[in-house]
Amino acid sequence: MDRNYHVFSDGRIERNDDTVRLVTEDGEKKYLPVENAEALFLHGQIDYNTRLVSFLNDHGVAMHVFGWNDYYAGSIVPKRGQTSGQTLVEQVRAYDDPERRRDLAAKFVAGSIHNMQTNVQYYDNRGHDFGPIRDRLDACRSALDDAESVEEAMGVEATARRAYYSTFDEILPEEFVFGGRKYNPPNNEVNSLISFGNSLVYANVVSAIRATALDPAISYLHEPGERRYSLALDIADLFKPLLTDRVVFRLVNRNQLTTDSFESELNSCLLTDAGRKTFSKAFEETLERTVEHPRLDRKVSYQYLLRMEAYKLKKHLLTGEEYVPFERWW
Amino acid sequence: MVYVIVVYDMQADRTHLLLKFLRRYLTHVQNSVFEGEVTEGDLETIETRIDSILEPDESTIIYEVSSEKLLQREVFGDDPTEDQRFL
Repeated sequence: MDRNYHVFSDGRIERNDDTVRLVTEDGEKKYLPVENAEALFLHGQIDYNTRLVSFLNDHGVAMHVFGWNDYYAGSIVPKRGQTSGQTLVEQVRAYDDPERRRDLAAKFVAGSIHNMQTNVQYYDNRGHDFGPIRDRLDACRSALDDAESVEEAMGVEATARRAYYSTFDEILPEEFVFGGRKYNPPNNEVNSLISFGNSLVYANVVSAIRATALDPAISYLHEPGERRYSLALDIADLFKPLLTDRVVFRLVNRNQLTTDSFESELNSCLLTDAGRKTFSKAFEETLERTVEHPRLDRKVSYQYLLRMEAYKLKKHLLTGEEYVPFERWW
Repeated sequence: MVYVIVVYDMQADRTHLLLKFLRRYLTHVQNSVFEGEVTEGDLETIETRIDSILEPDESTIIYEVSSEKLLQREVFGDDPTEDQRFL
Protein backbone atom coordinates (compact mmCIF):
# COMPACT_ATOMS: atom_id res chain seq x y z
CA MET A 1 0.00 0.00 0.00
CA ASP A 2 1.20 3.51 -0.69
CA ARG A 3 2.10 5.32 2.48
CA ASN A 4 1.80 8.78 3.85
CA TYR A 5 4.84 10.24 5.56
CA HIS A 6 4.38 12.94 8.20
CA VAL A 7 7.24 15.30 8.97
CA PHE A 8 6.94 17.07 12.32
CA SER A 9 10.52 18.14 12.83
CA ASP A 10 11.94 21.35 11.45
CA GLY A 11 14.63 21.06 8.82
CA ARG A 12 15.03 20.39 5.18
CA ILE A 13 13.84 17.71 2.78
CA GLU A 14 15.82 17.06 -0.32
CA ARG A 15 16.46 14.65 -3.10
CA ASN A 16 19.40 12.41 -2.31
CA ASP A 17 20.54 9.21 -4.00
CA ASP A 18 17.27 8.91 -5.91
CA THR A 19 15.13 9.02 -2.84
CA VAL A 20 13.88 11.62 -0.38
CA ARG A 21 15.96 12.60 2.62
CA LEU A 22 15.04 14.61 5.67
CA VAL A 23 17.82 16.53 7.39
CA THR A 24 16.59 17.77 10.75
CA GLU A 25 17.86 20.94 12.37
CA ASP A 26 20.22 19.01 14.60
CA GLY A 27 21.77 17.35 11.56
CA GLU A 28 20.08 13.95 11.77
CA LYS A 29 19.47 12.34 8.38
CA LYS A 30 16.50 10.12 7.64
CA TYR A 31 15.61 8.49 4.37
CA LEU A 32 12.07 8.05 3.09
CA PRO A 33 11.54 5.23 0.60
CA VAL A 34 10.08 7.15 -2.31
CA GLU A 35 8.90 4.11 -4.25
CA ASN A 36 6.01 3.33 -1.95
CA ALA A 37 5.13 6.86 -0.92
CA GLU A 38 1.69 8.31 -1.56
CA ALA A 39 2.18 11.74 -0.04
CA LEU A 40 4.30 13.78 2.33
CA PHE A 41 2.57 15.79 5.03
CA LEU A 42 4.70 18.67 6.23
CA HIS A 43 3.79 19.88 9.70
CA GLY A 44 7.07 21.47 10.71
CA GLN A 45 9.06 24.34 9.26
CA ILE A 46 10.63 22.72 6.25
CA ASP A 47 12.88 23.97 3.47
CA TYR A 48 12.87 22.31 0.06
CA ASN A 49 13.91 23.21 -3.44
CA THR A 50 12.68 22.79 -7.00
CA ARG A 51 14.84 19.73 -7.48
CA LEU A 52 12.78 17.94 -4.84
CA VAL A 53 9.53 19.12 -6.39
CA SER A 54 10.42 17.68 -9.81
CA PHE A 55 11.60 14.48 -8.22
CA LEU A 56 8.33 14.03 -6.31
CA ASN A 57 6.48 14.88 -9.50
CA ASP A 58 8.29 12.09 -11.36
CA HIS A 59 7.30 9.64 -8.64
CA GLY A 60 3.70 10.82 -8.41
CA VAL A 61 4.07 11.84 -4.77
CA ALA A 62 2.00 14.74 -3.43
CA MET A 63 3.15 17.12 -0.74
CA HIS A 64 0.58 18.60 1.64
CA VAL A 65 1.64 21.59 3.68
CA PHE A 66 0.20 22.40 7.07
CA GLY A 67 0.81 25.83 8.53
CA TRP A 68 0.79 25.93 12.27
CA ASN A 69 -2.08 28.28 12.84
CA ASP A 70 -4.23 27.84 9.77
CA TYR A 71 -4.07 24.12 9.53
CA TYR A 72 -4.15 23.24 5.84
CA ALA A 73 -1.93 25.58 3.83
CA GLY A 74 -1.97 23.87 0.45
CA SER A 75 -0.68 21.03 -1.67
CA ILE A 76 1.99 20.56 -4.26
CA VAL A 77 0.57 17.81 -6.39
CA PRO A 78 2.25 15.94 -9.20
CA LYS A 79 1.48 16.89 -12.72
CA ARG A 80 -1.51 14.86 -13.78
CA GLY A 81 -0.49 11.51 -15.16
CA GLN A 82 -4.07 10.94 -16.14
CA THR A 83 -5.51 13.41 -18.55
CA SER A 84 -8.77 12.88 -20.27
CA GLY A 85 -10.60 15.62 -22.06
CA GLN A 86 -13.64 13.39 -22.23
CA THR A 87 -13.82 13.07 -18.44
CA LEU A 88 -13.50 16.80 -18.01
CA VAL A 89 -16.26 17.46 -20.54
CA GLU A 90 -18.59 14.98 -18.84
CA GLN A 91 -17.73 16.39 -15.44
CA VAL A 92 -18.69 19.88 -16.54
CA ARG A 93 -21.83 18.64 -18.32
CA ALA A 94 -23.08 17.03 -15.14
CA TYR A 95 -22.35 20.24 -13.25
CA ASP A 96 -24.20 22.33 -15.79
CA ASP A 97 -27.31 20.14 -15.83
CA PRO A 98 -29.35 21.27 -12.79
CA GLU A 99 -31.10 17.92 -12.51
CA ARG A 100 -27.91 15.83 -12.54
CA ARG A 101 -26.07 18.23 -10.27
CA ARG A 102 -28.90 18.13 -7.75
CA ASP A 103 -28.90 14.30 -7.85
CA LEU A 104 -25.19 14.08 -7.23
CA ALA A 105 -25.33 16.70 -4.48
CA ALA A 106 -28.16 14.77 -2.80
CA LYS A 107 -26.14 11.55 -3.02
CA PHE A 108 -23.18 13.12 -1.25
CA VAL A 109 -25.49 14.37 1.49
CA ALA A 110 -27.29 11.01 1.76
CA GLY A 111 -23.98 9.21 2.18
CA SER A 112 -22.77 11.73 4.76
CA ILE A 113 -25.95 11.42 6.81
CA HIS A 114 -25.78 7.65 6.70
CA ASN A 115 -22.21 7.72 8.00
CA MET A 116 -23.17 10.13 10.78
CA GLN A 117 -26.02 7.78 11.67
CA THR A 118 -23.70 4.80 12.08
CA ASN A 119 -21.62 6.74 14.60
CA VAL A 120 -24.69 7.86 16.53
CA GLN A 121 -26.08 4.35 16.48
CA TYR A 122 -22.81 2.93 17.77
CA TYR A 123 -22.90 5.18 20.84
CA ASP A 124 -26.65 4.75 21.20
CA ASN A 125 -25.93 1.06 21.72
CA ARG A 126 -23.25 1.87 24.26
CA GLY A 127 -25.23 3.47 27.01
CA HIS A 128 -26.18 6.79 25.47
CA ASP A 129 -29.73 7.69 24.63
CA PHE A 130 -29.61 9.19 21.16
CA GLY A 131 -33.11 8.15 20.06
CA PRO A 132 -34.26 11.74 19.37
CA ILE A 133 -31.09 12.53 17.40
CA ARG A 134 -31.47 9.37 15.37
CA ASP A 135 -35.03 10.42 14.55
CA ARG A 136 -33.81 13.84 13.48
CA LEU A 137 -31.19 12.30 11.21
CA ASP A 138 -33.79 9.95 9.73
CA ALA A 139 -36.01 12.95 9.08
CA CYS A 140 -33.14 14.73 7.34
CA ARG A 141 -32.56 11.74 5.17
CA SER A 142 -36.21 11.72 4.09
CA ALA A 143 -36.26 15.48 3.60
CA LEU A 144 -33.46 15.03 1.13
CA ASP A 145 -35.79 13.34 -1.35
CA ASP A 146 -37.83 16.55 -1.51
CA ALA A 147 -34.82 18.83 -1.87
CA GLU A 148 -35.32 20.48 -5.21
CA SER A 149 -32.05 22.31 -5.45
CA VAL A 150 -28.44 22.01 -4.45
CA GLU A 151 -29.00 24.79 -1.90
CA GLU A 152 -31.76 22.79 -0.24
CA ALA A 153 -29.58 19.67 -0.15
CA MET A 154 -26.85 21.80 1.42
CA GLY A 155 -29.35 23.05 3.99
CA VAL A 156 -30.38 19.50 4.89
CA GLU A 157 -26.74 18.56 5.30
CA ALA A 158 -26.18 21.53 7.64
CA THR A 159 -29.20 20.59 9.75
CA ALA A 160 -28.09 16.98 9.94
CA ARG A 161 -24.56 17.89 10.88
CA ARG A 162 -25.77 20.21 13.64
CA ALA A 163 -27.90 17.44 15.11
CA TYR A 164 -25.02 15.02 14.79
CA TYR A 165 -22.52 17.36 16.45
CA SER A 166 -24.90 17.80 19.37
CA THR A 167 -24.06 14.23 20.41
CA PHE A 168 -20.37 15.03 20.81
CA ASP A 169 -20.71 16.69 24.21
CA GLU A 170 -22.27 13.51 25.53
CA ILE A 171 -19.87 11.10 23.89
CA LEU A 172 -16.76 12.95 25.06
CA PRO A 173 -15.66 13.37 28.69
CA GLU A 174 -16.73 16.42 30.71
CA GLU A 175 -13.53 18.41 30.39
CA PHE A 176 -13.88 18.39 26.61
CA VAL A 177 -16.60 20.95 25.99
CA PHE A 178 -17.68 21.25 22.38
CA GLY A 179 -20.81 23.39 22.09
CA GLY A 180 -20.99 23.39 18.31
CA ARG A 181 -18.68 23.69 15.40
CA LYS A 182 -16.36 26.73 15.24
CA TYR A 183 -13.32 27.22 13.09
CA ASN A 184 -10.97 29.94 11.85
CA PRO A 185 -9.61 29.52 14.44
CA PRO A 186 -11.07 26.63 16.46
CA ASN A 187 -12.17 27.91 19.87
CA ASN A 188 -11.77 24.75 21.95
CA GLU A 189 -10.12 21.33 22.06
CA VAL A 190 -12.85 19.43 20.25
CA ASN A 191 -13.09 21.94 17.43
CA SER A 192 -9.33 21.92 17.12
CA LEU A 193 -9.32 18.12 16.73
CA ILE A 194 -12.13 18.17 14.18
CA SER A 195 -10.36 20.88 12.16
CA PHE A 196 -7.09 19.03 12.12
CA GLY A 197 -8.74 15.67 11.33
CA ASN A 198 -10.89 17.09 8.57
CA SER A 199 -7.89 18.72 6.96
CA LEU A 200 -6.15 15.32 6.91
CA VAL A 201 -9.23 13.77 5.29
CA TYR A 202 -9.30 16.59 2.76
CA ALA A 203 -5.61 16.22 1.87
CA ASN A 204 -6.03 12.47 1.42
CA VAL A 205 -9.02 13.02 -0.87
CA VAL A 206 -6.94 15.46 -2.91
CA SER A 207 -4.39 12.67 -3.38
CA ALA A 208 -7.17 10.21 -4.29
CA ILE A 209 -8.71 12.51 -6.91
CA ARG A 210 -5.27 13.05 -8.38
CA ALA A 211 -5.12 9.36 -9.22
CA THR A 212 -8.04 9.81 -11.62
CA ALA A 213 -8.58 12.17 -14.52
CA LEU A 214 -11.24 14.08 -12.57
CA ASP A 215 -10.75 17.78 -12.19
CA PRO A 216 -10.64 18.52 -8.45
CA ALA A 217 -12.09 22.01 -8.87
CA ILE A 218 -15.42 20.99 -10.44
CA SER A 219 -17.83 19.92 -7.76
CA TYR A 220 -21.51 19.25 -7.21
CA LEU A 221 -22.54 19.77 -3.61
CA HIS A 222 -20.14 22.58 -2.84
CA GLU A 223 -20.03 25.49 -5.22
CA PRO A 224 -16.88 25.40 -7.31
CA GLY A 225 -14.84 28.27 -5.95
CA GLU A 226 -11.57 29.96 -6.54
CA ARG A 227 -8.34 28.54 -5.19
CA ARG A 228 -9.71 25.36 -3.70
CA TYR A 229 -10.43 21.81 -4.69
CA SER A 230 -14.14 21.80 -4.04
CA LEU A 231 -14.64 18.27 -5.37
CA ALA A 232 -12.42 17.14 -2.52
CA LEU A 233 -14.83 18.89 -0.13
CA ASP A 234 -17.77 16.94 -1.63
CA ILE A 235 -16.04 13.59 -1.19
CA ALA A 236 -14.39 14.40 2.15
CA ASP A 237 -17.80 14.98 3.74
CA LEU A 238 -18.63 11.31 3.24
CA PHE A 239 -15.59 10.19 5.17
CA LYS A 240 -15.33 12.64 8.06
CA PRO A 241 -17.52 10.57 10.43
CA LEU A 242 -15.54 7.40 9.64
CA LEU A 243 -12.09 8.95 9.83
CA THR A 244 -11.96 12.20 11.82
CA ASP A 245 -14.77 11.68 14.30
CA ARG A 246 -13.97 8.10 15.21
CA VAL A 247 -10.31 8.98 15.79
CA VAL A 248 -11.34 11.94 17.98
CA PHE A 249 -13.67 9.77 20.10
CA ARG A 250 -11.11 7.03 20.45
CA LEU A 251 -8.15 9.19 21.42
CA VAL A 252 -10.05 11.38 23.84
CA ASN A 253 -12.08 8.65 25.51
CA ARG A 254 -8.97 6.56 26.04
CA ASN A 255 -7.06 9.52 27.46
CA GLN A 256 -4.44 9.39 24.75
CA LEU A 257 -5.18 13.05 24.26
CA THR A 258 -5.92 15.19 27.30
CA THR A 259 -6.42 18.91 27.79
CA ASP A 260 -2.62 19.07 28.18
CA SER A 261 -2.30 18.23 24.48
CA PHE A 262 -3.50 21.72 23.54
CA GLU A 263 -2.26 25.26 23.70
CA SER A 264 -4.82 27.99 24.17
CA GLU A 265 -4.19 31.47 22.97
CA LEU A 266 -6.46 34.43 22.60
CA ASN A 267 -9.67 33.03 21.02
CA SER A 268 -7.98 29.95 19.68
CA CYS A 269 -7.03 26.49 20.82
CA LEU A 270 -4.55 24.37 18.94
CA LEU A 271 -2.94 20.97 19.27
CA THR A 272 0.63 20.85 20.51
CA ASP A 273 3.25 19.16 18.32
CA ALA A 274 3.04 16.02 20.45
CA GLY A 275 -0.74 16.10 20.18
CA ARG A 276 -0.61 16.42 16.43
CA LYS A 277 1.76 13.51 16.23
CA THR A 278 -0.52 11.33 18.35
CA PHE A 279 -3.49 12.28 16.21
CA SER A 280 -1.71 11.70 12.88
CA LYS A 281 -0.54 8.30 14.02
CA ALA A 282 -4.01 7.16 14.99
CA PHE A 283 -5.33 8.64 11.78
CA GLU A 284 -2.83 6.73 9.63
CA GLU A 285 -3.61 3.51 11.48
CA THR A 286 -7.25 4.09 10.67
CA LEU A 287 -6.50 4.66 6.99
CA GLU A 288 -4.68 1.34 6.95
CA ARG A 289 -7.54 -0.61 8.49
CA THR A 290 -9.12 -3.00 6.09
CA VAL A 291 -12.64 -4.20 5.58
CA GLU A 292 -14.10 -6.96 3.45
CA HIS A 293 -15.63 -5.42 0.36
CA PRO A 294 -18.83 -7.26 -0.62
CA ARG A 295 -18.67 -6.49 -4.34
CA LEU A 296 -14.91 -6.73 -4.87
CA ASP A 297 -14.79 -9.84 -2.71
CA ARG A 298 -11.52 -8.86 -1.10
CA LYS A 299 -10.24 -6.73 1.72
CA VAL A 300 -9.70 -3.05 1.04
CA SER A 301 -8.12 -0.38 3.23
CA TYR A 302 -10.02 2.69 4.32
CA GLN A 303 -7.55 4.69 2.26
CA TYR A 304 -8.51 2.70 -0.79
CA LEU A 305 -12.16 3.51 -0.13
CA LEU A 306 -11.27 7.16 -0.78
CA ARG A 307 -9.78 6.29 -4.11
CA MET A 308 -12.74 4.08 -5.00
CA GLU A 309 -15.04 7.01 -4.41
CA ALA A 310 -13.21 8.98 -7.10
CA TYR A 311 -13.32 6.00 -9.48
CA LYS A 312 -17.04 5.48 -8.90
CA LEU A 313 -17.80 9.12 -9.58
CA LYS A 314 -15.74 9.07 -12.75
CA LYS A 315 -17.50 5.93 -13.92
CA HIS A 316 -20.88 7.50 -13.29
CA LEU A 317 -19.93 10.59 -15.28
CA LEU A 318 -18.58 8.64 -18.22
CA THR A 319 -21.02 5.75 -18.47
CA GLY A 320 -24.10 6.99 -16.65
CA GLU A 321 -23.93 4.02 -14.25
CA GLU A 322 -25.63 5.05 -11.02
CA TYR A 323 -23.32 6.62 -8.46
CA VAL A 324 -23.82 5.03 -5.06
CA PRO A 325 -22.09 7.11 -2.38
CA PHE A 326 -19.90 5.49 0.26
CA GLU A 327 -22.05 4.30 3.11
CA ARG A 328 -20.42 2.37 5.89
CA TRP A 329 -21.76 -1.19 5.58
CA TRP A 330 -20.05 -2.83 8.52
CA MET B 1 2.49 -7.12 -0.74
CA VAL B 2 5.32 -9.09 0.80
CA TYR B 3 7.55 -8.36 3.76
CA VAL B 4 11.23 -8.80 2.97
CA ILE B 5 14.51 -8.77 4.82
CA VAL B 6 17.51 -8.14 2.60
CA VAL B 7 21.03 -8.82 3.83
CA TYR B 8 24.11 -8.33 1.72
CA ASP B 9 27.77 -9.00 1.87
CA MET B 10 29.94 -6.97 -0.45
CA GLN B 11 33.41 -5.56 -0.73
CA ALA B 12 33.66 -2.69 1.73
CA ASP B 13 34.12 0.00 -0.92
CA ARG B 14 31.07 -1.18 -2.86
CA THR B 15 28.38 -1.46 -0.19
CA HIS B 16 27.10 2.03 -0.98
CA LEU B 17 25.75 0.76 -4.30
CA LEU B 18 23.13 -1.40 -2.65
CA LEU B 19 22.66 0.97 0.27
CA LYS B 20 21.62 3.79 -2.06
CA PHE B 21 19.41 1.60 -4.18
CA LEU B 22 17.57 -0.16 -1.37
CA ARG B 23 16.84 3.08 0.49
CA ARG B 24 14.31 3.87 -2.21
CA TYR B 25 12.19 0.88 -1.23
CA LEU B 26 13.00 -0.27 2.28
CA THR B 27 14.13 0.78 5.73
CA HIS B 28 17.80 0.58 6.57
CA VAL B 29 17.84 -1.30 9.87
CA GLN B 30 21.50 -2.18 10.34
CA ASN B 31 24.75 -2.21 8.38
CA SER B 32 23.95 -4.21 5.24
CA VAL B 33 20.44 -5.06 6.39
CA PHE B 34 17.17 -3.67 5.06
CA GLU B 35 13.59 -4.61 5.70
CA GLY B 36 10.08 -3.55 4.86
CA GLU B 37 6.94 -4.19 2.89
CA VAL B 38 7.05 -4.03 -0.91
CA THR B 39 4.80 -4.99 -3.77
CA GLU B 40 5.55 -8.11 -5.80
CA GLY B 41 6.44 -5.87 -8.73
CA ASP B 42 8.93 -3.85 -6.70
CA LEU B 43 10.43 -7.05 -5.36
CA GLU B 44 11.10 -8.15 -8.91
CA THR B 45 12.78 -4.81 -9.67
CA ILE B 46 14.88 -5.18 -6.53
CA GLU B 47 15.95 -8.71 -7.44
CA THR B 48 16.94 -7.77 -10.97
CA ARG B 49 18.90 -4.77 -9.80
CA ILE B 50 20.73 -6.69 -7.07
CA ASP B 51 21.65 -9.34 -9.58
CA SER B 52 23.20 -6.77 -11.89
CA ILE B 53 25.16 -5.03 -9.13
CA LEU B 54 26.79 -8.06 -7.51
CA GLU B 55 30.31 -9.12 -8.44
CA PRO B 56 31.96 -12.51 -7.93
CA ASP B 57 32.36 -13.48 -4.26
CA GLU B 58 29.62 -11.10 -3.18
CA SER B 59 26.20 -12.23 -2.06
CA THR B 60 22.77 -11.00 -1.13
CA ILE B 61 20.02 -12.94 0.57
CA ILE B 62 16.38 -11.96 0.49
CA TYR B 63 14.13 -13.47 3.14
CA GLU B 64 10.55 -13.18 2.11
CA VAL B 65 7.51 -13.41 4.37
CA SER B 66 4.09 -13.37 2.78
CA SER B 67 2.79 -10.90 5.33
CA GLU B 68 4.16 -8.73 8.10
CA LYS B 69 1.69 -10.41 10.45
CA LEU B 70 3.38 -13.78 10.05
CA LEU B 71 6.72 -12.39 11.05
CA GLN B 72 7.78 -12.97 14.61
CA ARG B 73 10.08 -10.05 15.22
CA GLU B 74 11.74 -9.14 18.48
CA VAL B 75 13.94 -6.10 18.83
CA PHE B 76 16.43 -5.37 21.58
CA GLY B 77 17.46 -1.76 21.94
CA ASP B 78 16.15 0.87 19.52
CA ASP B 79 13.92 -0.26 16.69
CA PRO B 80 14.92 1.59 13.50
CA THR B 81 11.61 0.79 11.80
CA GLU B 82 9.58 2.36 14.56
CA ASP B 83 7.88 5.61 13.66
CA GLN B 84 9.46 5.52 10.27
CA ARG B 85 6.54 7.41 8.82
CA PHE B 86 6.40 10.08 11.51
CA LEU B 87 9.58 12.07 11.39
